[in-house]
Amino acid sequence: MTDQPQAAELTYTRVFEAPRDLVFRCMTEPEHLTHFWGPDGVSTPLENITVDLRPGGAFETVMVNDADGSSYAMRAVFVEISAPDRLVWTDPGSGMTTTSTFTDLGGGRTEVRIHQVNVPEPFLSPQAQAGFVTSLDRCAAYLAALVSGGPAR
Amino acid sequence: MTAAPGRLDDMFIALADPTRRAIVTRLARGDATVNELAAPFDMTLPGISKHLKVLERCGLITRTRSAQFRPCHLERTALDAVAGWIAENQRIWSERFDKLDRHLRDLQETPGTAPPAAPGRGGNHD
Repeated sequence: MTDQPQAAELTYTRVFEAPRDLVFRCMTEPEHLTHFWGPDGVSTPLENITVDLRPGGAFETVMVNDADGSSYAMRAVFVEISAPDRLVWTDPGSGMTTTSTFTDLGGGRTEVRIHQVNVPEPFLSPQAQAGFVTSLDRCAAYLAALVSGGPAR
Repeated sequence: MTAAPGRLDDMFIALADPTRRAIVTRLARGDATVNELAAPFDMTLPGISKHLKVLERCGLITRTRSAQFRPCHLERTALDAVAGWIAENQRIWSERFDKLDRHLRDLQETPGTAPPAAPGRGGNHD
């Protein structure tokens, strides 16, 4: 079902043991987002989460690094909301658009597919590159696993 | 001559192909000629050359003009930009999904906090 990958797109898929309505709510309600939005070692305080669930509405979070208190603000705008199966937001700063698709697999299981397009150009600046010193060996593994964008599971 | 300025978009397209990823992986071990690169693949030289042109256009590899062999060279800095961005993005979503998985389990293990899985429930604001 997947055609040739488009420009600069990434796809992440995960199956959750939970009904689709609940998963969709988790992705769209601050009370839930605060529990999981930040990666490991990063908190997302409830008071700084804005979810205005309508096209053109704000989707904003501030992720705070638990170790040093540094923070990263995301200021995105919802493009499309189709509860409980589809959610699209775009980050005007980077131009990156994220589409979340929620598929009811039956039996109380839900597949979430995150599809991102338009990788931001600033990542090619010399400053950004300096921060991206990675091992080539690990890189090859990432690329093989991720860039193909094929149907995951 | 000099490769066009590398753009991340073009690099993603270039790396979306498994053969081109294999070429990049091979070049990570050192420069190689077209013949050397073609050896492990069941592919004609023109076929490999086509892939190399894609990699060259986006700045991931360069080719010297010396002699007819024109060894290919991997531009590590360009690849680092791609790999670093992907790795970071992948890590965030992976850890986010792990946390969401735990959160969903907590919700469903605590009676009264999770809504029933009512089919056909549309917009749901409580």
